[in-house]
Amino acid sequence: MSTRWYPIYQRGNPQLRVFLPNFWMKLVRPTEEQPANVVTFAVSTQMTKHDVKNYLEKIYKIPVVDVRTRIALGDTKRDQVYGYITKNEDVKLAYVTMPKNEAFTFPDLFANKAEKQEKDEKSMDESKQGFRKFLDRNKKRPGTPGWYSI
Amino acid sequence: MRITQFLASKLKNFSNLPKEYIERSKKQVYWQTPKEANYLPRTVERKRYRYTTNRSWTGHFRQQNMPGTSRRKVFVEPIEDWSFFRGDRIEVLVGKDKGKQGIVTQVIPERNWVIVEGINWHYRRVGAEKEFPGIIIKSESPLNVTKDIRLVDPSDLQGTDFEWRFTEEGEKVRVSMRSGRIIPIPETNNQTYDYKTPNAYIEREKDTTAAVVGEITFQPKLATFEMDIMEEMGIKEERTPAKSYWY
Amino acid sequence: MSATLIKCFNLAKAVGTGAFRNALATSHSQVAAWSPATVGSLLKCGIHSNVPLQNEKLMEFFDDPKHWSETEVKVGRAWRTDELRIKSNKELHQLWYILLKERNMLFTMEHECNDKMEVFPNPERIDKIKISMENLETVVRERNKAYHLLETGETGERPQKQIHNAFGLRCNYKTIEHVLPPFMNTKWIKAQHNTYGGRAVHKFLLHYREKLYNVKRKAKNRSRNEVMMTLRRNPNIDLQMLKRKYPDVDIDKLLSQDKTRGHYVTKVDA
Repeated sequence: MSTRWYPIYQRGNPQLRVFLPNFWMKLVRPTEEQPANVVTFAVSTQMTKHDVKNYLEKIYKIPVVDVRTRIALGDTKRDQVYGYITKNEDVKLAYVTMPKNEAFTFPDLFANKAEKQEKDEKSMDESKQGFRKFLDRNKKRPGTPGWYSI
Repeated sequence: MRITQFLASKLKNFSNLPKEYIERSKKQVYWQTPKEANYLPRTVERKRYRYTTNRSWTGHFRQQNMPGTSRRKVFVEPIEDWSFFRGDRIEVLVGKDKGKQGIVTQVIPERNWVIVEGINWHYRRVGAEKEFPGIIIKSESPLNVTKDIRLVDPSDLQGTDFEWRFTEEGEKVRVSMRSGRIIPIPETNNQTYDYKTPNAYIEREKDTTAAVVGEITFQPKLATFEMDIMEEMGIKEERTPAKSYWY
Repeated sequence: MSATLIKCFNLAKAVGTGAFRNALATSHSQVAAWSPATVGSLLKCGIHSNVPLQNEKLMEFFDDPKHWSETEVKVGRAWRTDELRIKSNKELHQLWYILLKERNMLFTMEHECNDKMEVFPNPERIDKIKISMENLETVVRERNKAYHLLETGETGERPQKQIHNAFGLRCNYKTIEHVLPPFMNTKWIKAQHNTYGGRAVHKFLLHYREKLYNVKRKAKNRSRNEVMMTLRRNPNIDLQMLKRKYPDVDIDKLLSQDKTRGHYVTKVDA
């Protein structure tokens, strides 16, 4: 049988086992302030609290004390061009509580981004500066060709 | 099988991106029915795109195909066998560079275009602001493969017409109509954004090494995947499933 | 599903034994193979298990910190079915979890990038993972099918058949698993009385066929216009090629029409 077929329940049947789970989970930045040992996940909508717990404990080896879930309604918005009302898909959010002694803060992924960008824009800035220099130099002698001075 | 092999275009995907990604990045879905059992799958999405020198997964492409905008349809002459590849030496038949020869650097089959190094170029101003006139750069305009260019015969370096023919080994090759010489497809055609030759690829941190990939570990066994894994993990299952009916 | 997961996840433990050094992508080397990128290395998981800080394990949901501010993160290509076919079940099972973890990581990074209005580097990594996972599942299915065919003479897949639906149209019906045999399942038997001879159905079918016909007609018109425009713009085009490309368009008839003539003066040979 296909790896994705979920057989009907019949008493005395062998235990159901999922060998290739295809649930996804993503760690998201919490919108509200929350205790240090609580982590927010966006998960597949089909996942139950027990699934979330097992997923984290067995695949990621993260101890889980409690899981609370809710389904967040997807945003609706009116299409600016055609006027359709479109709705994003609903997302299941799981608030996972780890033991008291654990702590997790969502990292700042783009702390070094500004430095990197500066480097990229350097060449453009240089040419801009050169142009400004050229203008300053020629302020008092308008109309002089560019090759006239060094 | 062999026929399809022959018919398949010899043009390689330079970007090396999966087809799925190219389709996904291009897609503009304006409206879609929810993925529920009580809805028929219906979408309202952009059907026609204006292809330009900007490739379809870039932001420039999206800017030129903003949602809700439409541009006149461009009729592209259908071509059966794509015959101009990266690295080909070609002769220009039209424009200010008429008669010049150059090397193809980029191929855009969506518009029957090639971009040739140092041919058909113009100045372009980028980064202009109020206080700054911008930087002038050279940029090459595309040339149409059906009308603007022709291949160069490698034997005498003169422009020539050509034909696709089969060698005795059954390989499809381009043959110069004037001298009858084979015009080989340049090695540059096989280069991609990620590597020049497959052997020269530098393995990244997350890549599985070629040796591990090629290792044969499969051993035929009279068991399903699940049975094999359970045996591996020492999971014992004595119960047998009750009979069920499929109808 | 929860109970079922418990034990299956035990299987995931095995992943740590690490047959693949890196699981995400295979690299490009070898003649035709730039190798598949797999997900984070399995060995790494093993090392982390001794670290007391949970923080460390949750960091598996994020990319390597050195990639955080990168604008390009290069990886190899997806696993192909041919490469997966030579791998043992155990290794496929391990690879699945590597891919699963990598996909979670990519989803997390993509979500955060979108949140912070940053560009997510190389989003095609997600597609590569997806392709790898699809291929892996195909291979597993192939193996299971072979076993079932050998043992039972059936594929072991969910049976499907062609039936007439309530409108009398042929459609594919995926059968459903039942505890009771059909003759005992009175509820099912009652639901089977789908007739399609009524006036309303007849009317519906009339409209439905009209719709289908219109789709066909429009497609035909569209390809005819396409040919017309192509001929108008390219008077010297290879007609045989055009005929091969548009087999249902009568090109000879079109050629005799004024519409296919462009706004140009025919050259007279001097």
